[in-house]
Amino acid sequence: MTPKERVMTALRRGQPDMVPWVEGSMEEEIQIRIMDGRTDYTPGELCRALGMDGFGYNFPAAGGAVASQSHTAATSLKDTWYHPGNVTFQFSPPWIARMGIDATTGRTYIKEGLLTSRDSLSLFDEFLPDPNHPARYEQVAKWIEQYREDYAVFAGIRLGTSSTFEGMGLEAFSLAMYEDPGLVKEIHRRFSEWSAQVVEHVNKLDVDFIWVYDDMADTRAPWVSPAMYEEFIQPYQMMVASRIGKPWVFHSDGNLLPILDNLLQLGMSAIHPNQPAAVDINQVKQKYGDRVCLIGNIDLDYTLTRGTEEEVEREVRDRIEKVGKGGGYIISSANSITNYCKLENIRAMAKAVEKYRRYDG
Amino acid sequence: MHVSATLELIKENCIRGKRADLKEAVNAALAEGIGAKDIMMRGLIPAMATVGEKYASGEFFLPEMMIAARAVSEAMEMLKPHLVASGYEKRGKVAVGTVAGDFHDIGKNIVKAMLEGGGYEVVDLGVDTPAEKFIAAVQNDAVQAVLLSSLITISMANMRLTIQALDRAGVRQSVIVGVGGAPVTQRFADEIGADFYSPDAFGAVEKCNALLAQRA
Repeated sequence: MTPKERVMTALRRGQPDMVPWVEGSMEEEIQIRIMDGRTDYTPGELCRALGMDGFGYNFPAAGGAVASQSHTAATSLKDTWYHPGNVTFQFSPPWIARMGIDATTGRTYIKEGLLTSRDSLSLFDEFLPDPNHPARYEQVAKWIEQYREDYAVFAGIRLGTSSTFEGMGLEAFSLAMYEDPGLVKEIHRRFSEWSAQVVEHVNKLDVDFIWVYDDMADTRAPWVSPAMYEEFIQPYQMMVASRIGKPWVFHSDGNLLPILDNLLQLGMSAIHPNQPAAVDINQVKQKYGDRVCLIGNIDLDYTLTRGTEEEVEREVRDRIEKVGKGGGYIISSANSITNYCKLENIRAMAKAVEKYRRYDG
Repeated sequence: MHVSATLELIKENCIRGKRADLKEAVNAALAEGIGAKDIMMRGLIPAMATVGEKYASGEFFLPEMMIAARAVSEAMEMLKPHLVASGYEKRGKVAVGTVAGDFHDIGKNIVKAMLEGGGYEVVDLGVDTPAEKFIAAVQNDAVQAVLLSSLITISMANMRLTIQALDRAGVRQSVIVGVGGAPVTQRFADEIGADFYSPDAFGAVEKCNALLAQRA
């Protein structure tokens, strides 16, 4: 099987020749360290360095983004969206929030959501790009053509939920649910309407599947009850989900179990990342494995960041043997390969995946 | 209305997060001659404990907890002049902060809301908090506990460094140090010499209650 066939088989809950490995996100600094300091590698070369079967996140310029470098100095969020400064396959909306940047690491973070009142709704026009502007789609189409080889290529989008949480802030979101429920619904509707238009364009790209990133839970529970989910979130998520024309993965950190039955009505092919601190993936497999492919569960909180190489190997072997049994499993970190992972542990993961992944032994 | 019925109404409005009804009930209680301290100790704080229990057990979700915490916080503000006049002091003063290198504030804010609902005065040190700010909170704000939050593995090392810095500054023994956040475990808390670990916000309030009572 090609890497693409392997991934697509698992997404259909089938059993490929071997357990596929795909990451939903990998920070650029650790990509470069994996590539021994090179920045001019292609996504396919990174896949081969580890034995991964697909890609779809952000990559350093790698020569491919040179044409758009002149735009990176532009302060306009819209312009950056239309003309991305690095190689990307992502279509998430910009944050409608006051952002900060960590001087040491360069990581950006949300200081404060800006969507807190009816008046603030005008910020949608200010922040969100035109979802029908062709520039980003044309650019990504070129990158796919240039880099796809026989890998499974995915595009990243949002259904609008995490943008709603981030744009409002969880406290304002919570209070508005009681005091101005219409505002919460209107904010989610606007993000979802934007994403629904984006996804129509993404459907036309030569991507194999779509990865949806909408965090809506912590390790204890979802941020909303099943009843709140049905009223405030699901109808808007469905606006986007019903338009997705390819297999798709739903990503949310945390424990989704209290709302998972409702969530599965959206029709996703797979759930990621199945964080070990939040869920027992063996139980999820037992209960939902006949309905949805599972991705992830290699622990970022401890194993990949603080564990030993032996612990990485044990965890990889355990997941492949138990969750991979019968297919419908894609191995991956929970939730991403971050810069603060131990490089030797990522290499140990690659080695262990290669050692244990074959279904025919 | 009978005292217990009035306090029951206060509790009910707290638990359901009905801010306007709660204010009305608090005013009614004051008009009936129920003391501000009784309203707080027999009404608001037990109600918030109930909310915390429901949140910890999975019956309540984040918005239900947040709206109740906001209602209790506003009711506390109403009672403040009465409490000051009667010489009542808060249950304690606690500093909360997400440690250096970490910008996640959801967990820290939930703990803050629960502490305020539990009758504590909270000094919120924000996110990406250097050890010096925790030390200053002990030295200048006279907090009795400092609670450190971390959501990402990389910042957990700064929990250890913060505790070491408190030690070097000579203030470690004068405060209770609690830690929490998704990657944090009891084992890690023991390793770095924290006084307690709690997997959830309600547990953090209960630990503060128990450990501060031991020191009293």
